[in-house]
Amino acid sequence: MARVAGALQQSLSLEHNDSDFSSDTSDTSFDSDDTKNPRQKKAKAVSKSFQKIKPQSGFVPDAVSKIFNGTDFSYLKLRPDHVSRPIWIYEAVDKIIIILESFSPLAEQAQDFLITIAEPVSRPSHVHEYRITLHSLYAAVSVGLETEDIIVVLNRFSKVPIADSIINFIRAATKSIGKVKLVLKHNRYFVESPQADILRMLLQDPIIGKLKIDSKDSIKNGDSEQSQNASTTTNGQNNNPSSSNDPNERLLNSVVGETKDAGNGIEDEQDDDNDDDFDKVHSFEIAVESVEDVKRRCLDIDYPVLEEYDFRNDSINANLDIGLKASTKVRPYQEKSLSKMFGNGRARSGIIVLPCGAGKTLVGITAACTIKKSVVVLCTSSVSAVQWRDQFLQWCTIHPDNVSVFTSDSKEIFKGDAGLVVSTYSMVANTRNRSHQSQKVMDFLTSREWGFIILDEVHVVPAEMFRRVITTIKAHAKLGLTATLVREDNKIGDLNFLIGPKLYEANWMDLAQKGHIAKVQCAEVWCPMTSEFYQEYLRQNARKKMLLYVMNPTKFQACQFLIHYHEKRGDKIIVFSDNVYALREYALKLEKHFICGDTPQHERLDILKNFQLNENVNTIFLSKVGDTSIDLPEATCLIQISSHYGSRRQEAQRLGRILRAKRRNDEGFNAFFYSLVSKDTQEMYYSTKRQAFLVDQGYAFKVITHLNGMESLPNLAYSSAKERRELLQDILLKNEELANLEEGDDADDVIGRSANAAKKRRNKAKRTAGSLASHAGGEDMAYVEHGRNRNKELREHSSLMQKLYYKK
Amino acid sequence: MVRAIKGSLIKCDPSIKALIVDIDSKRHDIIIEELDDTNLLVSTDKIQFIKAELERILSKNAYNAMEAEEAEKQK
Repeated sequence: MARVAGALQQSLSLEHNDSDFSSDTSDTSFDSDDTKNPRQKKAKAVSKSFQKIKPQSGFVPDAVSKIFNGTDFSYLKLRPDHVSRPIWIYEAVDKIIIILESFSPLAEQAQDFLITIAEPVSRPSHVHEYRITLHSLYAAVSVGLETEDIIVVLNRFSKVPIADSIINFIRAATKSIGKVKLVLKHNRYFVESPQADILRMLLQDPIIGKLKIDSKDSIKNGDSEQSQNASTTTNGQNNNPSSSNDPNERLLNSVVGETKDAGNGIEDEQDDDNDDDFDKVHSFEIAVESVEDVKRRCLDIDYPVLEEYDFRNDSINANLDIGLKASTKVRPYQEKSLSKMFGNGRARSGIIVLPCGAGKTLVGITAACTIKKSVVVLCTSSVSAVQWRDQFLQWCTIHPDNVSVFTSDSKEIFKGDAGLVVSTYSMVANTRNRSHQSQKVMDFLTSREWGFIILDEVHVVPAEMFRRVITTIKAHAKLGLTATLVREDNKIGDLNFLIGPKLYEANWMDLAQKGHIAKVQCAEVWCPMTSEFYQEYLRQNARKKMLLYVMNPTKFQACQFLIHYHEKRGDKIIVFSDNVYALREYALKLEKHFICGDTPQHERLDILKNFQLNENVNTIFLSKVGDTSIDLPEATCLIQISSHYGSRRQEAQRLGRILRAKRRNDEGFNAFFYSLVSKDTQEMYYSTKRQAFLVDQGYAFKVITHLNGMESLPNLAYSSAKERRELLQDILLKNEELANLEEGDDADDVIGRSANAAKKRRNKAKRTAGSLASHAGGEDMAYVEHGRNRNKELREHSSLMQKLYYKK
Repeated sequence: MVRAIKGSLIKCDPSIKALIVDIDSKRHDIIIEELDDTNLLVSTDKIQFIKAELERILSKNAYNAMEAEEAEKQK
């Protein structure tokens, strides 16, 4: 009985909400009549007496419940019209999970709504998973959604009545959002709130209170006393939160000083400009270094700070004359992502996630054109810095004089009051000694306020470096761009504090459907190990094992077969191998060109040119150097023979190589992505792990266990047992060092590593014999300083060459 | 005199055969005769043991997203 009543009561509270909804937000395209059920209304009175029953009370564990790990929801009562509703919603251990049936007719509306309030976890073709988190709600509220709207709409979409605990979570989480703001004024950070009691609560917080700094000494003296006063008063008033704010405000003014009357002339001016309608805004200052701590703490106590930049009303920072060229077309999803950023006419900080080749750069540029203030762009290498600069000049009307590049080989400062600076993370975060010139530019960067900062490829940057960058450059709004918001070290969460919530994440499948990126068929080809190889595999150490499964003759045959097959179809093929030894062996045996870290510049260029233009060169082998940034729109097929363990990002980045395929809009065109895996080895484990990210984006990996017609291929390599044995002998004799993966662009620490590598090369000590006198300076001695600037040598080369050079 | 030993025939992939040979190499009481790349004669009473052992070894090569998530949590 209790169980039924509990369910009844839920469905009733629902009913109530539904009707509210239809009257409040009638502009939604949703039809509200379908749920009116008079019978339930009658039951309303009955249910009143069961108010106290919790929804979980209906749960009766049965024999199989424990398998579901606390997520057995068989007790939930479906609504009578559940078929036409697209979502399930439930609370797992520490999160709220939403399952969306993407085949439902309402799925598209539901998806639009869910992407606003929740984070997509996985979006394959039929069933999507979303997760509601504090961050996602925070993003939702900051684009202007009301708490009740969220609950009501969720209710309308849900197949089952929403549990009270979920509603409470949403209420609690959204209640306090937007009440606290972090504002940057004149290179100083202030915590602001329109409600005095909230600010006082923050001041009393054991962590934030300490981080407050005082702008004026005179206030400081009296401050400690008065804040004690204030705290006692508030304690008294806590019982009566609905009481008028006036006495609170008066008290608070004495504690922190009202912004308007603070006696600080500059602030006065700012306030008049911005917030004429805000009568009183209270604020206290915090130190630049403690910004992150404050943000983190505020989130912990459920008062996430909102970082908004009211760029239209900012008259302090000079406007930048920048706008999109008329010929520039912004695609619908790019617009959508930007609308999340500029929801209410102000700029919000956050991260936008778009797949490789979907035009992240243009999103950044459009955002900059919207804000029209000085912009800093930070990217991972000086090559992409130059690319960013070129893209800016290509897409928008900014004057070239206003654009400057700050990298190791170009240290410019733009002319005029406002402008654009493109730089790299390592340049800005560098803590070692700088040259005079770069110090000058750096001083310039740190001394002023920036309207906007674009952080390219945010996922690659180590958190420490990020922190340094963000604290040294003071920008009102921050935008992070990335394709793959995953790190194997789980440090992605840090970005939430450092930049902001994830504002938008594109649906890869959707973009592929609409022709913005290529459609890709993914396949995992299982290549059985031959018994000789497997016997050795079982015996050897980890490194040799790797060499054995990469050089598995069956894999080689599969690779040969696939190349043959796709060349006949007219595809252009890239074969990826992290292992350079295997790369070389494969390429030489198959008589194809290959590029690895040791390949000299001009040769690389030659090979790539040929691949693009020469009809006879349809296949190239690339090592890790080709993972990112080599743009080959001709490529339509990708074969991966060895990879960087379980790196999900590498898999996605590699896939990105063929997403831009030129021919993507041809009818029925498919790009192909093959991953060759040796069966029954460690590789199987890594392979599945690597695919996780792409699977979440909706890519289905077909497993191919047998390639039809492989045995009958003419000139099939290693087809006789003798050849295979020879290969095995060869491998066993090889040094196990060969199993090492090439050091390359594994972006986890791309910046730190390249710098270290250069350092290592230079600082190698040399041992020479010398007399005691010579050490003491008794002999003739002359010092020559070799200050070779290798970047300068590069200048005369083409941009592609530079790009390749830096990937080395 | 002819001696007959009762056994079971196992038909498997070359790699699994190699695995069984490897298991056998430590105890020498499993395999009666290696016939060819895919066929093995083993003693019948060891079948269960072989199955369990194969399961244990091969499961190391399988990635399970659920387990990985839990392992992460424990960290």
